[in-house]
Amino acid sequence: MTAGQKGASRRDAPSPISSLIWRVVALAVIDAFAITFGYALYSGGLTIAAAALALVTFAINVVFLVDRLYPLRWISPGIFLLVLMVVYPVLYTVYIAFTDYSGQHILSKQQVVDQLESRFYTPEGSASLQWRAYRSDSGDFLIWLTDPDGNRFLGDPASGITTVDPNDPRSGPLDPADNLPTTIDGYRKLTRAESVRYLTSLSGLLITGDIDGQPAQLHILSLDRAEIGLQRYTYDASRDVVVDHQAGTEYHPEGGFFVASDGSRAPAPGFVDFIGLDNFRRVLTDPRLSSAFLGVFTWTVVFAAGSVILCFALGLALALVFNDKRLPLNGVFRTLAIIPYTVPGFISALIWVGLLNPTFGPVNSFLRDTFGLNPQWFADGTLAKVAIFMINTWLGYPYMLIVTLGALQSIPSDLYEAAEIDGASAVQRFRRITFPLLLIAITPLLIGSFAFNFNNFTLIELVTQGGPSVPGSITPAGQTDILISYSYRLAFAAGKGNDYAFAATISIFIFAIIAAITLVNFRLSRRVENLI
Amino acid sequence: MSRILKLGSALAAVVLILSSCAGPAATIIPSASPTAVPATATAVPATPTAVPATATAVPATATPAASPTEEVSPTPEITPEPTPPPAAVAGTLTIWADNVRTPVLTSVAEAFTAQYNVPVQVYELGFGQIRDSLILRGPAGEGPDIIIGAHDWLGALVAAGVVEPLDLADKAASFEQVGLDAFSYEGTLYGLPYVSEAIALYYNKDLVPTPPTTWDELKTMATDLQEAGTVDQGYCLQKGDPYHSYPILTGFGGYIFGKNADGSYNPEDVGLDSEGGKAYAQELDQLVKDGLLVDNVDYGACTAMMTGDAGANPPRAAFWMTGPWALTDFRNSGVNYGVAPIPMMENQPRPFVGVQGMMVSSFAPNKVLAQTFLTEYIATDDAMNQLYEADPRIPVWIPLETTVVATDPDIAAFAESAKFGDSLPAIPEMSSVWDAWTIAINVIFEQSQDPDAAVTDAAAKIRDLIATP
Repeated sequence: MTAGQKGASRRDAPSPISSLIWRVVALAVIDAFAITFGYALYSGGLTIAAAALALVTFAINVVFLVDRLYPLRWISPGIFLLVLMVVYPVLYTVYIAFTDYSGQHILSKQQVVDQLESRFYTPEGSASLQWRAYRSDSGDFLIWLTDPDGNRFLGDPASGITTVDPNDPRSGPLDPADNLPTTIDGYRKLTRAESVRYLTSLSGLLITGDIDGQPAQLHILSLDRAEIGLQRYTYDASRDVVVDHQAGTEYHPEGGFFVASDGSRAPAPGFVDFIGLDNFRRVLTDPRLSSAFLGVFTWTVVFAAGSVILCFALGLALALVFNDKRLPLNGVFRTLAIIPYTVPGFISALIWVGLLNPTFGPVNSFLRDTFGLNPQWFADGTLAKVAIFMINTWLGYPYMLIVTLGALQSIPSDLYEAAEIDGASAVQRFRRITFPLLLIAITPLLIGSFAFNFNNFTLIELVTQGGPSVPGSITPAGQTDILISYSYRLAFAAGKGNDYAFAATISIFIFAIIAAITLVNFRLSRRVENLI
Repeated sequence: MSRILKLGSALAAVVLILSSCAGPAATIIPSASPTAVPATATAVPATPTAVPATATAVPATATPAASPTEEVSPTPEITPEPTPPPAAVAGTLTIWADNVRTPVLTSVAEAFTAQYNVPVQVYELGFGQIRDSLILRGPAGEGPDIIIGAHDWLGALVAAGVVEPLDLADKAASFEQVGLDAFSYEGTLYGLPYVSEAIALYYNKDLVPTPPTTWDELKTMATDLQEAGTVDQGYCLQKGDPYHSYPILTGFGGYIFGKNADGSYNPEDVGLDSEGGKAYAQELDQLVKDGLLVDNVDYGACTAMMTGDAGANPPRAAFWMTGPWALTDFRNSGVNYGVAPIPMMENQPRPFVGVQGMMVSSFAPNKVLAQTFLTEYIATDDAMNQLYEADPRIPVWIPLETTVVATDPDIAAFAESAKFGDSLPAIPEMSSVWDAWTIAINVIFEQSQDPDAAVTDAAAKIRDLIATP
């Protein structure tokens, strides 16, 4: 028995019954939801998701019923959300990286098989039919069919397609408009317009007939036309082939397509196929990636580190000023300095792009008029980088200001008093007391900020779209492209459409890089703290 | 231990009670989900015919499975959630449209519902979002029945297997052939076209009484106006916009993709660095050197210069090639503008022709109904007229086109320009082109690379991207 558990049971002690009822009712509600939802998932074909849900629900029940797991109760919702929002997407991304999920490989194999199996063909010479529907009060349908020669058939989901007997006693009086019976055995004829309302039910009916002894099926093609056709493709699961009954060919799955022995593809889209490490191999060997990688990677690190340093430096400087009690209107300045943080970054970034426009922007018209300068902010690589740093510093410093202000206030004032008594100068106090103590509190945030800027796709895309381009380069990498924006360009704005699998693979690599850098950063900062 | 047992049994009892209360809900969901997945929807009625012996007994049990779809239609009780997802369900037609078409389709749909008693839901998405949303959500059973789209999406949509062939039957004769061709992929029609668009030359009638007929004439006029200080820019062409510079490319004999014998594009033949492509690059380069083209001008800047900041100031540009989408801006600004054909260059300049239309999803639960909605209801004078009014472009519905061309000289000029146009390539390889081509134009505008090298590099990039698996 641990102290925690004792504490827990003591806490339970005053109202054991009400606590018990609460627990049971709450759990029952959760379980009832889980059962309903899990059943819907299961019947929708999402067996894995249903199993996962069952597992999670079981875990929740155990945690809430077993007293020994009491502390887990309060973090279990957090863990659940973590699994749902973080772990599941990460696992899914990893899974995608091992497939060929992209432009031509979107559907599952089963969906492609379903598309093929729903195709039909009509033998030579058979014409399309005109149809009218009859509906009973209980919602059943009959389909009246007329072929171009005037032969009439009746399609019934229960008994198939039969030739109409002109003297059928079930037929009601003839409708003079189209010469069809108005009723058949309690089924009332639907007008053409009325049929629209039931089209989905009608086209879903399975009415069988036969063509030369082979089982055929009625297909409603439009509001007027129907055809009796033979199923063209069937999938033979035991041999894993799709058989084309009309042409007599067989297609086997290969490379995410159904392919015949002569190399021709079945008339169907590709499907998602498991391709092992091919994407990883491609990332490592693709000359477009490797030739540009070093330059892009260097700029990414410079951009991320530079942004953090600049934002932190400006935030710290302002925080030191605002922290000084002698500054008049302190609160006003603080509020004003935080305003950039409250304007959505999207808007700020776009406004900056407008301000820096070399032809129309106010920045350049000022520089032109006063210094005769006209910097081409987005046409010159170095200037574009300067512009990006400027904009990102503007966007990022208020955050650093807020956290630094908070951290400054937590530094005990007696340290400063002691330092003052010892005759330390302001610079010495800052170097020996403020900065080291501040770093302890701020370092994790700096590392987080570094990781964020490492993947700051939004800023790059809004400001330069990776440009300016490198003249004479064979890769689509621009001079301000960071890894994430460059991989976006490779995966989505190139080739033959969206390459989700390639993008997933690159994101795994980026994750590995950031994880490594963060780890090193933490080690280093711990060593720095120990030194201090 | 016994406490846990007691707790467990009490819990089991309450769960049983609760889940039996939740019974109706539990049955609603599975009955809805098979209809969302067409594969299972057809499997349900399959049972009666598959087993003929029990056939007579089965319809009784089969009816409840079929009934939700029809009980639904008169009273819309299928939407228990306050905000239903924009996914299609059987019996209710679901359409994804953009912000311009949503109000029109909503009013068209209301009339359709009144006439045929079929509920229709129209959901608004960003135009650019619709394509990828259909590719990602359609196969998951969360897609619509019908989408609004551009014909150049067709390559990607067909390759992904998410759009259904469409049969317009006898209505096909009422559509311009160019519209039908645009929505055909490898010989199969996939969409119902309703408007087409191509760029033509906007000019300011106050500054230029008669529009130029040749490219050299246009350049002379633009230079004169610029030198006289009447305008900032005589001729406006925004930077980094391949689409708007395509007539110059073709006017100087260049091309993007060569054509096969049947008129389809051949991605193996990239023509950006052909002799004509280089002539195009040199022409752009010369225009920049002559001060006729200016770096840092974007689409918005051209609009502002042509319309004098939406009528607030005198116009600061005289010529601009763009499409009918800019008509609203020009008309609202009160500028005295005209639309003329693109002036003749060394060859007949050919703009890109884009066609917009409606397509049926392969994963639509109401495929036949959706196709019927398009052929019976959208392909009519009334609906086509409403779609045209919402966003005036070149109609491809022949009866409407005839009246519009006769009454609206602007649209007539665009229609004239479109006659010489090239269909915007719908092949998936086109996505390799835009970035590289944009970069080539940018380096010419920025004067950071020789024009020949700019297009040679771009063509090499495009070939390299297309060759990548």
